[in-house]
Amino acid sequence: MLLLQNARIASENSPVLLEADVLIVEGKIQDIGPNLAIPEGARVIDARGRVLMPGMFDAHVHFRAPGFENKETITTGSEAAINGGITGVVMMPNTRPALDSATAVATVLENAKLRSRIPVYTSGCVTKNREGKELAEIEGMRELGVKMLTDDGDTTNDPAVLLRAMQYATEFGMFFASHCEVPELAGPRALNEGVMSYRLGIKGSPACAEEIIIDRDIRLARAAGAHVHIQHVSSKLGMETIRWWKSRGDVKVTAEVAPHHLMFTDEHIGDYDTNYKMNPPLRTQADCDALLEGLVEGVFDLIATDHAPHTPFEKAQDFLSAPNGITGLDTALVSLYHHFVEPKKFGWDLVVKRYSAEPRRLMGLPVAAVEVGQQAECLLFDTEAETTFTREFMKSKSQNTPFLDQTLKGRVDLVILGTEILLER
Amino acid sequence: MARKDLLDIASLHREEIEFLLDQSTSFKKLFTHSVKKIPALEGKSVLMLFYEASTRTHSSFEVAAKRLSAEVTNFDVAHSSITKGESVRETIETLQAMRTDYIVVRHGHSGLPGMIARQTTASVINAGDGAHEHPTQALLDAFTIKEKFPDPRGKKVLIIGDILHSRVARSTSTLLQKLGVEVAYLGPGSLVPKYIPESIRRFTDYEAAMAWSPDVVYLLRVQMERQDVQFFPNVREYHRVYGITNARLAEIRDRGLYIMHPGPVNRGVELCDAVMDYERSLITNQVENGISVRMAVLDWLTPGGDFPRQESYVAQQRASSTVIMP
Ligand SMILES: [Zn+2]
Repeated sequence: MLLLQNARIASENSPVLLEADVLIVEGKIQDIGPNLAIPEGARVIDARGRVLMPGMFDAHVHFRAPGFENKETITTGSEAAINGGITGVVMMPNTRPALDSATAVATVLENAKLRSRIPVYTSGCVTKNREGKELAEIEGMRELGVKMLTDDGDTTNDPAVLLRAMQYATEFGMFFASHCEVPELAGPRALNEGVMSYRLGIKGSPACAEEIIIDRDIRLARAAGAHVHIQHVSSKLGMETIRWWKSRGDVKVTAEVAPHHLMFTDEHIGDYDTNYKMNPPLRTQADCDALLEGLVEGVFDLIATDHAPHTPFEKAQDFLSAPNGITGLDTALVSLYHHFVEPKKFGWDLVVKRYSAEPRRLMGLPVAAVEVGQQAECLLFDTEAETTFTREFMKSKSQNTPFLDQTLKGRVDLVILGTEILLER
Repeated sequence: MARKDLLDIASLHREEIEFLLDQSTSFKKLFTHSVKKIPALEGKSVLMLFYEASTRTHSSFEVAAKRLSAEVTNFDVAHSSITKGESVRETIETLQAMRTDYIVVRHGHSGLPGMIARQTTASVINAGDGAHEHPTQALLDAFTIKEKFPDPRGKKVLIIGDILHSRVARSTSTLLQKLGVEVAYLGPGSLVPKYIPESIRRFTDYEAAMAWSPDVVYLLRVQMERQDVQFFPNVREYHRVYGITNARLAEIRDRGLYIMHPGPVNRGVELCDAVMDYERSLITNQVENGISVRMAVLDWLTPGGDFPRQESYVAQQRASSTVIMP
């Protein structure tokens, strides 16, 4: 039994925080109200001034297992999630072997049950070994609960292959998540084509490399009657393309944006800082502004980190040799608060909707709300405290993040899942 | 004002540039007065680390180092396939053990000399990294121009060719602008980046560029080896549209313009053969001046302190060499 006193409860439906006590009994929220009586044997936590909200859910993470356990494991990845207030994740299938068969998916899910304190879901590949040629074992994966199909890390380059996959898998109620990039245009270097690419002397990847596939995959989904989810959009025109298709209403499109694309530009790369090397690349302030607009407006249904751990060893190379990607789970919620909620660019309701409720809906899961009768799946957030993202703080096995050693406003204090307190600070 | 490394022109202050150009003048004078060696770097070692072959820059640095009495070692990497950043770090660890004082590095990856500089106490000189910078080339270009125009402010330099892949264009244009020279670019649309600094004019045809009245026409080398991707249809067409043809040379001679080129020249592509005899071609001056400029740079840099204690790279658990994208 747990009684949280005087918490300010955030929900996706209201910009106003509701101040109340919350009583959790046997992992369920039993009562919410002012001045609840303290039941005998209950642990009382004074939550005055702190925000209570549902646990976040990240629909785009790379846990690197199997195959790259030196970067991340299911254990370290899920602990990083908990550290950041996230109580459920969807893994991407670009592991080694790639998750393109029922056997591979079954292994990961079994592992996750043993090694993670939060639910870990996985997506499956569209094509065998993500090669873009033969269809993966789609129905076999569905039987194990896979809903999302993606060759993330790359685009399924042959549109005919993707169209066939869409026609086939839609029958099973599955949907497609698209990493959007024409490889021939983007080249191998994750740097926006712009002033910075000229200055650094690296051939840039033009935003159109991304925008073409956003448009292409939505058209393919429309032709197949499929649901397509556009991953980690980074450009203004990409956002506007999705907005236009959504306004037509004749194709099912959802989309996500990553915190780093909202917060950083290619200028941050400075002197070849590989902690800002990611794919799609950081673009310009105008793109950031447009993405924020799209998030507030609802062009983006959800926020997802694209948590992409790499060892310090790999990231300490020169910019061109270093791999793409940054970690995000430890830092996402605090950085969203610091950059947007605190300066009043958007409210907690948006955070809860876009980073907790909508990603769960996308995956067909029940939404975790702080409501009577629901399972307790929530976190306490101290808006006055600060978090310093030292190496010791981070629970991810890798610390390739621009936030390393930065101090931001806000702190995740307590994470509860059912009867368990997963984190307490 | 002491610096450990010379990695780029962008971060150099005007005073540093003036100082280096002045020093170059002194070194040049010294050697035209028959002195062949001075003991400035006696007992010091200079390591040449060229991942891209380059006879010209390589020998220029070598001569410069030897005239300063340094000991020069060549690390033969030009022909090895080991050019990734990871293996470069392995090499750096070896170099630390060799206790070299200066490392002259050329590599196809932009930013790689900077990475090396952060991992060694030796002074690192960027002898060309990808399409990023080639600072000593820029210094020798500026030096060569100053020999003709002691006060280069307000002079105009037109750079023609493959800007996209050219570290020379980037470094030289940056340096010239710091000296008050106006710079313009001209080249095939596929080889001039869309985003260039606003301070650099961009011309799309030769006649318009000439109407701007440049004082110097600087031709960049066409990277024939990069033609696995086609940036223009063929070299004949390139020569006709962007090259100095016989007819254009006549106009250039009439106007008394100087011609520069970082070398080696593709004859008949950037320049017609007759340019080799053109009295205002500065191409051999550039080569000659390269040595004094590089002496000035070596003499100026200060290798730093003790070797840092760092965790051995080799001892570190080797990460999987396969890179997986997010
Ligand atoms: Zn991803």
